[in-house]
Formats: sequence, C-alpha cells, structure tokens
Amino acid sequence: MRHFLFNGKILKFVTMKVKNLNKSKLPIVRIDNSLEKYKGKVLFKDKLDKANDMLKTVGLPKSRKQS
Amino acid sequence: MKLERYEIKAEKSLMIFEFVSEGPKGKIHKLVQFGETNLKDLFNLAFGDKDLITGEINDSIVSNNNDSDKVLATVVATVYAFTDKYPNAWIYATGSTKSRTRLYRMGLTKYLTEIEEDFDLYGQRVGEWESFEKGVEYEAFLVQRKNT
Repeated sequence: MRHFLFNGKILKFVTMKVKNLNKSKLPIVRIDNSLEKYKGKVLFKDKLDKANDMLKTVGLPKSRKQS
Repeated sequence: MKLERYEIKAEKSLMIFEFVSEGPKGKIHKLVQFGETNLKDLFNLAFGDKDLITGEINDSIVSNNNDSDKVLATVVATVYAFTDKYPNAWIYATGSTKSRTRLYRMGLTKYLTEIEEDFDLYGQRVGEWESFEKGVEYEAFLVQRKNT
C-alpha cells in the first residue's frame, strides 16, 4: 500500500508539472516531421500577397530594438 | 495570458504549426504559418483549417467550434514559440475579412496588458503604423518581441 501511494504521488507530481509547463507563456512544442512537407510552401497566398502589397507602401514602424 | 490552449506541433524551423480544435463540430485540424514577406525579418501570420481529405487550407471558413478563445490563445502561443526562436522577427497579421480583423482587435484589447509585457504592438490605420490603442479600429497589426 505504501509503495503504491508513493508511486501515485510521484505520478501526480509529474502530471502537475507538465500541466504547469503547458500554462507558461512559452508553450511545449512537439516536433512533427510530417509537417516538413509544408516547408517552403506558401499556404495562404492571398494573405501573403495582401501583406506584401500593404508593406510596400507602409513599411515598418521604428523598432525599439536593433535587428 | 492564462487561457487554456491546445497542444502544439511544429516542423523543425518552427514556421509551421499544427493543432487540433475540439468542439461540437468535432476535431478540426488548424495550421498556422509564419510566412516570409518581401521585407527582411517580417513574417505574415496566417492560420486556417486543414481539409484532411484534400490537404487544402482554408483561411476564410468559420469553424463555429465554440472554442475561439482557446484557438486564439493557441495561436498566441505559437507567436511565443516563433519569436523565441526568431527574437528579431516582426509579425504582421490581419483578418481575412473586416469582421475577423475586428475579432482579433477585440482579443488583443482584452489581453493588452499581458501582451505589452512581452511585445511591442502596433496597429495600422490610414496607411501608417501607430502604437496599438484600445478602441481604435485598425486594418492590420504588427508585433515584435521585446528584449528579454
């Protein structure tokens, strides 16, 4: 019984830690190689064209940090 | 932003993310892309539904899966992941329709204090960028991660 409870506590602790991590601003991201097929492809062409048109005339605001 | 969000997957460069929305309409696969624009260090944020049969992406569909807050919180999480890898990146975003742009503005307004802890946020109005302010209608948005 003691051994079971001990393990139960450990498992609970691990579960809580993962939950807390997933609530932090920086998320846990699982790398999925099946998404590599989209790399280099423009998935939202209309939106990108629209953005490029707008940026051609408006440009960027002055950044507060050097890039 | 302490909202609940979905688990996120990405390819290695962290420019394309996927998550699955779950609600009354079932499971809807969403793709988020940070697409390179003609300006250096500036990326276009776009997301939409993935059709699992055709593989096509639709960014104008209204999913109505009763989880818009959770979806937006997940997209914001991808912005954190992306800007953690590319800290100098600017991210441009606008809605596919006026009403969707308004929806994004409402989301940004709701969590403005938290967003401004980590990002410089701008709105585009009458052909110019200005610091984002509550109650102002914008055509597009731009964010850059603050120095940490």
